[in-house]
Amino acid sequence: MTHKVIEEGAPKRGRAFLASFTKNFLPAAPLLLIVGFFFLFPIARLIHVSFLSNENTFTIDNFITATQEPYRTGFVNSIKIGLFSAAIAAIPGAIAAYFIETRGSSKLRRTIAVMNGVLANTGGIPLAFMFYAALGIQGQLTKILKFFGWDIYSGMFSLGSFIGLLIVYLYFQLPLMIIVFSPAIVSLRREWSEAARNLGASQLDYWLRIGIPLLFPSFIASFLLLFASGFSAYATANALTVGTLPLTPLQIGGLLDGNVSAAQLNLGKALGVVMILISACAVIPYLVIQRRSARWQK
Amino acid sequence: MAKVKLKFRPALAITLIILGFFVFVPMISAFEFSIRTPAEGGYGWANYLWAIREEEFMYYIIRSTWLSGVTVLITLFVLVPTLTWLHLSNSKIRGLIDGLSLLPLVIPVVAFAVGAQIAFPEFVKNTVLELPFLYFVLALPYAYRALDIGLSAIPLKTITEAARSAGANWLRTITSVIVPVIRGSVMATIALTFALSLGEFTLTVLLHWDTFPTWVTYVAQENILGAIAISMMALIIPFVILTMVTLVIPERSIQRRK
Repeated sequence: MTHKVIEEGAPKRGRAFLASFTKNFLPAAPLLLIVGFFFLFPIARLIHVSFLSNENTFTIDNFITATQEPYRTGFVNSIKIGLFSAAIAAIPGAIAAYFIETRGSSKLRRTIAVMNGVLANTGGIPLAFMFYAALGIQGQLTKILKFFGWDIYSGMFSLGSFIGLLIVYLYFQLPLMIIVFSPAIVSLRREWSEAARNLGASQLDYWLRIGIPLLFPSFIASFLLLFASGFSAYATANALTVGTLPLTPLQIGGLLDGNVSAAQLNLGKALGVVMILISACAVIPYLVIQRRSARWQK
Repeated sequence: MAKVKLKFRPALAITLIILGFFVFVPMISAFEFSIRTPAEGGYGWANYLWAIREEEFMYYIIRSTWLSGVTVLITLFVLVPTLTWLHLSNSKIRGLIDGLSLLPLVIPVVAFAVGAQIAFPEFVKNTVLELPFLYFVLALPYAYRALDIGLSAIPLKTITEAARSAGANWLRTITSVIVPVIRGSVMATIALTFALSLGEFTLTVLLHWDTFPTWVTYVAQENILGAIAISMMALIIPFVILTMVTLVIPERSIQRRK
């Protein structure tokens, strides 16, 4: 009996499935196809190949090499530059976002938003030129500082060094901070500060008890995104360093171009997979926090 | 009579001065280099004229522009109908697609480039048209969010039903009703997708394609001042275009929802 019911139900369920497929999936097919083929497929292939030896057999040797020198230093430097550039940009960026969003006129805010959009995407050769022109050996700012008695090139400084790169990264990290942190500021309602004041809170009380606790998750989220951006930046580092500073993105680029040869053909893929893992550790919490704070940011 | 409020805001002024110093000192320094004319001494537009007269200058500008244009078209053709449908149907896969659209943020571009290099079959690798699709993926998190916000802010169901009952088919509903209503979001999507594609360097260079941003690298080897002039143009042109675009859009459409 039961068996019969199922027999009869099956074709109906089949048709129902088809109908539900058409209704629930088909309109999304173009997007899913493009994202699947041009994004998920390359990433899946990258992960697959990273586990292959030169003879196409399974191995984890690529990952073992990826954690040894000089790649270990590459990761340490990349993580360091991500963390430092995010840490230095986060607080000034947050404060700037606050004053721009709360004090600026609408036209000013929109102009700054566009500027930040352009600046956060600068990188590579144009950014390198700007800093050579300002802080290079013949740079304008270098000359001015020298005039005032501070020769920045008297020590070990160069734009291709860690400190140099850090300063250059701030040029796109600071605007990025303002972009990602501004929505949190905008959603702080004036009513809340007024309500707090009516209840007898001072400006300081308001910030310590309400403002900062409300903004803190977004602040951490923005910091994480900045870390990911600094950690994976390629174009600028490529333009400024000449192989002097080991950074993972540059090492991958070198392996990919064949400028650097390694005994393991698929080492670059393993480095890429490790980069994805590190980046995911920052971006996934960022997305989770964003989603949670979006609930009251309406 | 409307009173014009002109308050001096010291905190804002100080913020803008510090930011302005940080942003404009390197930019102006580079500009000063770009107008130097070492042969005659003094200043002039020689480097800019040299760059514009280069045969490849126009070639790469046109190439980068049409590649970015194709990216914008793919973005709008794919995302506007899909997002409209997702908003209307409450489909079960909305969560999946929301998550998928954010995934490119997780993947560093360098790693994506390596994957793209080893994954695609020859017929994809051999055509420069792979670039717009890859740029589409890179811009997806931003484009998706911009359009999503725009569609959430309007009474989409009412508008669509009205258009449908007035006899418009789906294509017409989207092109002449929905897109004009969310034009602020559409313009924002166009601007950011276009800007991102125009300036993309990492993926392009690692996949061995030549566009305007990668061409500058070659120029730098033969004429450094000319390359600086080109870089300045590459920085200032998108800024001017985007500023005009945002200031032209009526304010209402980008204002925050209440």
